Order: sequence, then C-alpha cells, then structure tokens
Amino acid sequence: MDQKQISKEILLRMVKSFTTNEVAPFDMEIDHTRSYVNDLFNKIKKYDFLSTMLPKEYGGAGFDGETTAAMINEIARGNASLAVTLEGHFKSIDQIVKYGNQALKDEYLPQSKSRIIAFSMTEPSGGSNPLGIASHAEKKGDKWIINGDKIMITNGGLAEIYCVLVKTAPKELSFFVVDKDMPGFEYGKQENFLGLTGVPVGEIVMNNIEVDENHLLGKIGMGKEIGDSAHNDARVLMGAVLTGIMEHELNIVTDYATHRKAIDTPIIQMQGIQRKIADIAVAKETTKLLYQKAAWLKDHRQDYEQEAAMAKAYGSRSAVKSGDNALQILGGYGYSLDYPVEHLIRDARAMEIAEGTVEKMRTEIALIEAKNRA
Amino acid sequence: MKIVVCIKQVPETTNVKIDEKTKNIDRRGLGGVINSYDLHALKAALDIKNQVGGEVITLTMGPDDFAVSLQETLALGADKSVLLSDRAFAGADTLATGYVLGKAIEKIGNVDLVLLGQQSVDADTGQVGPIIAELLQVSQVTYADKMIAKNENLLIKRNLGTVEQEITAKLPLLATITETINEPEYTNVVEIAKSFDKTITTWHAKDLDLEDSRVGQAGSPTIVCSISSPEKVVKQGHKLADDPVAAAKELVAALKKQNVLAEDE
Repeated sequence: MDQKQISKEILLRMVKSFTTNEVAPFDMEIDHTRSYVNDLFNKIKKYDFLSTMLPKEYGGAGFDGETTAAMINEIARGNASLAVTLEGHFKSIDQIVKYGNQALKDEYLPQSKSRIIAFSMTEPSGGSNPLGIASHAEKKGDKWIINGDKIMITNGGLAEIYCVLVKTAPKELSFFVVDKDMPGFEYGKQENFLGLTGVPVGEIVMNNIEVDENHLLGKIGMGKEIGDSAHNDARVLMGAVLTGIMEHELNIVTDYATHRKAIDTPIIQMQGIQRKIADIAVAKETTKLLYQKAAWLKDHRQDYEQEAAMAKAYGSRSAVKSGDNALQILGGYGYSLDYPVEHLIRDARAMEIAEGTVEKMRTEIALIEAKNRA
Repeated sequence: MKIVVCIKQVPETTNVKIDEKTKNIDRRGLGGVINSYDLHALKAALDIKNQVGGEVITLTMGPDDFAVSLQETLALGADKSVLLSDRAFAGADTLATGYVLGKAIEKIGNVDLVLLGQQSVDADTGQVGPIIAELLQVSQVTYADKMIAKNENLLIKRNLGTVEQEITAKLPLLATITETINEPEYTNVVEIAKSFDKTITTWHAKDLDLEDSRVGQAGSPTIVCSISSPEKVVKQGHKLADDPVAAAKELVAALKKQNVLAEDE
C-alpha cells in the first residue's frame, strides 16, 4: 500500500469507530432535539474533521475527493445531518481553494480548521434562478458595499464565514466572502425543516457590509460558474450522504427481518420481504458507485458534472423509496417516531430539493448527453 | 523513559470466521484494526511520556500490511515504529510470537518499560506479555489499571477482578494494561498526514539474533485440534409461588438442592 492508501485506511478506521461510538447512538436524539448533542460539534473540531480536505499548506490533512466522500458516507451511516454539515463546509472550502485570490486563501482557509464556512445563493426571490436575487454589491472607492438577505443557508447560524452571491450589475453575478464579525452582518430566521433536523438552516442579513477587493471570490461576473462548481462538489458528497442513509436503512431492515418471525419463520425467508431488501441493497450500491466515480473523475481533473448529478438525482429518489420499503417491512415500528426509519425518509427527502432539484438534475444530465453527441 | 508498546492488528471482531482446515481465524478479506486493549497501552505510554519525557516506540509482528496499524500509532503520538515481518514468522503461537518480540526489544536496547494490552480480542490468551517478560528477565505486572511514574519507579494499581493490588515496581518492567486504565483518543485527522514524517523500520528474521527452532511454526508447540461454539442450551424455567414468603422459602429450598446454599444456611 502507498501513503495515500494507508492514510485513507487509517482515516476510515477512525471515522468508523467515531461514528459507531459517538454519532450513531445519538442519531434519534439529534433528530428529536434538532441539535448536535453529545458535544458532537466540539468533538468534530477537536479531531480536525473540518480540515479533512483542506490542503496541507493551509494546515489541513489534504485528503482527496474520493477519501473525503468515503468519510462523509461513513458518518452518514450514523447520522445524515452531521454528514451534511460537513458537506456544506467542504464544498465552501473547495470554492475558495479553486477561485480565491491568495490573500483570501491566506486569510480564511487556515480559519476553516475551526470555523464553518457556508455557501449562500438562495433568496426569497431566487434559488435555482440566480438572476432572480436582489442582494447586490456596489463599488465605492477601493471597497465593495454589500447589502441583501440570504435564506435557507446550510449551516446558517452555525457557520461564521459566508460565501455570498450578489449582483454587481443588473445581469452580473459575483461572489464575495463575508465574516459574521463584520459590521452590518446579522443572523436572521432559522428554518423549521422536515428532515436533516440537526443541520441548522438559516438566514443572514447584510446591511452595508464593507469589504476590500480581496474578498471577491474569483472575478467579477463569475458568480454562475462558481455557483455551478459548488453545486457539483456538493452533489458528489450528497451521493455519499445518501449512500450512508441507505446503509442505515439496510442495517435496520436486515436486522429486523432476520429476527422478526411470522409464525415460526424469520420474515427474511419470505420473497416479498427479500425483494424489498434486495432493492434497497441494489440502490445503495448503485449510488455508491455513482458518487465514487464522480469523486474519482474530480480527483483526476476530468468532467464530473453529469456523474455528480446522477449520484444526487438517483440517490435521493432511491433513498426515499428505500426508506418507504424499510418502513413497510417494519410495519407499525417503521411508522413510529420512536424508531429511526421515518426520519431517514425525511432526511433523504431534503436531498431531492437541496443543491438543485431532482428535476433540474435530470435536465442537466440530458443536456450533457445532448452536448456529448453534438 | 524509553517505552516500547507491542500492538497486534486483529480482524474486526464482528466479522470473525474460523478456517475449518487450519482451525485458525480466517483473515482473508477482513478489515484490520488495532487490538483495543493495545490502544489503552499506547495511551498509558503516551501519558507516562508526557509525565516524565522520553520516547514511545510501537512494535508489531505480522505481514507488511500491518504497517497500517503502526502508522496509526504514529498518528496517535508514538515517536517511531518497528515492524517485524518475515515469512519465517508465519504460524507462530504465543510462545514463538513472544520470542521474536522479545528479541526485537533486546535489539531496540535500553528499554525501560514494555507495555501490551492485557490480551488480544481475537485469541484472548493474555500470554504474550508474560512470555516476553520471562525472555527479557524483567519484572512483570499484569492487569495494570493505573500507572504513575515516581522516582524511577512505577506506582501501579492492578485490577484482578474482585481484588485490587497497589504495588511499586522498579524499572525495567513489563506491564499488561486493562481497558479501564484510560480512555484512548481518536486519531486526529490532520495528524494522519503528519505521521508520515516519522519512521517505520522493518526488521526481517535475519536482522534479529534468532534460533530457527524457536520461530514460526517450528517454535510453536500449540496445536489447535478443534474449535467450536458452545451449544446454546435453553433450560426449562420454573415459576415460584405468587406469595412472596412462600416464594422465598421455595427459592431457598431449590438453592439448597442445587448445593448453592449449604443445608444449615
């Protein structure tokens, strides 16, 4: 084994142990209390999970996309919310690494070891349609003055640094990086979402936040490109989260069906149950292969947009459907709030919407097919 | 203080299967982890190093891919590692394993303290530590549950199940460590990358002063004849009387009949 393989093995051994001991036992409590109990967030910081894919020159561990996704997969097996909190942070770091100027990288990447960075595009007037946003930045002298309101931000309220999409001209989109400690920054309303309830999702309000040119992410007018890039990176990791959710579903139903008897026969011996379990297993493995391929392509600097969209589109629908199958196998227990299956369906359902709807994924997949044949 | 911690890579215990032909654990396709008791031993070593200074060296015997576990110990804070890897070591029982580990510790030289987990979770013998101590002719303390360095001695509390024993032990010393002595840390993600700045040295049979007859299968008198799981026996229960006084009398009579209680109790 080479250094890369050994590092990956050690990381995954640790994450497996951490998930089994520190995350999985608190899965239900995280869902019910809508918070990271068991001091989980501080433990995540203590063991430097936040630095997993941060390049070594900024104090990170420098793991590649494949390994980072495998780690997210493992955590999601225990609790999908925590995996999504990390996914949101990693995709934001990715964009600063790709597009940030050196001063911006030097200022914020080392801080990302202990401070969450969030990516915010959505506004009341625009989500998947970025030109519908109202937030804007205006140049005054050598400073930019930013005003606007961003909503439904993954890790909103928990994150301390935000990459924000604004208009720099009526049809010109650009990204800036703002910090919660800047004058004019305020936290707004927290969402009360159906699933992934551990992940804080909230609003930020920007009132005349003044930043210098170094806080521009990429160049003026690159907003759409950077937004698309962030979506692609997020979708790879969402495939990993969805795989973890399906592994969780599979563990529950296999264990239940092995022990639950109808008359004297464990129900796993019955074809109707077997078909449902097999369908979950196939969907889980397919999603895993899709996200792994997307991550591999990304690591090897090849196009991964289509595979990332497939991992998210196929994985999210499959995880919801698998959860429904799991609920049916468990019967009344599946329908109970005292058992975990129902929240896995709610968690997976979020990912049919976040980072681009399933419908938008299909459009992108089809357009890439058309482009490849043009 | 120069401390050597012997570690063993074991299969993940939930996956263990027995090879019907060899009667040994079938390790094919199994993920490995560091024996959990050894992680407590490593933490104990690092705590003593923090207290009095020195270095912690981790040591294991096994195929080349066991280097992953040594690398993990370096990420957890060990200073350097030694891997003992040679086809000649294959098939070793506890005696032959203890012999090779002991000879490696002699080669490392000037070791003040050798620590191991009290047993491994796959074989559960607890024999390798005492075997190494005999070979090195140093004092041994098994089941160490608390350990503090003081004036070139170690103050040790032993946990023997129903009895605790506090002793002062002189160095050099070998101790085996319980799982209640401390709470091992998880590996820090960034330290994994940094651990590659440290060294893992590999020693083969020729690098150690070994007698061929004491190595590998030749040096292993243990023969596993058969291996089986205990039969699950479900005994018929008996419901005691509803009245508590009558139930107590019935229970005492039953326990006397089973010789659990003496007739005159």
